[in-house]
Amino acid sequence: MSKYKIIEIKESVFEDNNRRADLLRGELEKEKTFLLNLMSSPGSGKTTTLVRTIDALKDEISIGIMEADIDSDVDAKTISKTGVKVIQLHTRGMCHLDAEMTRQGLQGLDTQGIDLAILENVGNLVCPAEFDTGASKNAMILSVPEGDDKPLKYPLMFSIVDVLLVNKIDAMDFFDFDLEAVKERVTKLNPKIKIIPISAKTGEGIDQWADWLRCEVKKWNEK
Amino acid sequence: MHELGIVIKAVKNVEEFARENNVTKIETLVLQIGALASVIPRFVEECYPMAVKDTMLEDTKLKIEVLPANARCRACEKVFNVLEEKGVCPYCNNEKPEMISGNEFMIKEIIAC
Repeated sequence: MSKYKIIEIKESVFEDNNRRADLLRGELEKEKTFLLNLMSSPGSGKTTTLVRTIDALKDEISIGIMEADIDSDVDAKTISKTGVKVIQLHTRGMCHLDAEMTRQGLQGLDTQGIDLAILENVGNLVCPAEFDTGASKNAMILSVPEGDDKPLKYPLMFSIVDVLLVNKIDAMDFFDFDLEAVKERVTKLNPKIKIIPISAKTGEGIDQWADWLRCEVKKWNEK
Repeated sequence: MHELGIVIKAVKNVEEFARENNVTKIETLVLQIGALASVIPRFVEECYPMAVKDTMLEDTKLKIEVLPANARCRACEKVFNVLEEKGVCPYCNNEKPEMISGNEFMIKEIIAC
């Protein structure tokens, strides 16, 4: 007879990360630092959108940025020109950030006195959706050239975010991109989502996005 | 192929569980993966030998069970399989189901001594 026996574990692989993320969220609430996790595909305009966002808010809110990439520091250099605190995180090949890596990043950034910390996650629509970073709110960018079928292809990402920025709307005439179809597909997955069309290039829609963010930061930090 | 990082995480969790429960030898790891999870069973199988190399799970067998993608209709509250019904409730044609399973990536059990 075999000496082996079945030992039931029944644990989600993400559960341990979810626990750490909840813990981190609780600490950030006490510290009065709002953490935004910003996700998208590579090349959707995350960094350009961030620069616009910083310009719109930096006079009233103290901001810190964490740039996560597999390698390089080109994004951190771009952001540092805005004058806000920025650090570059390297994931060493991993395609996402988990709660523990986010905690280390926040320590590196030193969140004392920072009202709004923004994590620019690795450009990827798959893995970052599965790992809760401990953020107060999650946002994603979908850019017009990527196509209006992305909510059908990456449903998890669209169903976990609080806000969707549709970027590069200035280029709408050059692509077969149906904004109404995107809205319909996304609200089917996520009825509570807020959708804001923007152009990080021309600045269109940035006011509305900055208003949303300002309001959320205020709510969080006055809890 | 983003499975490797996630499988490495799963292996670490199993090793931790084994240490805490004085398990010394594992023969098989059984995972449960939802039909809608962005973790693909075939890729998990492919990267498993790499993920377990130099760990307690080296040379163990891997078994994967796929869990159905079920949802509850937000209108009539009946449960149905989203993939089979293409996201539309077969009872009342509502198109906004609430997912109840299908996104899992679970360590179900280990066969060990």
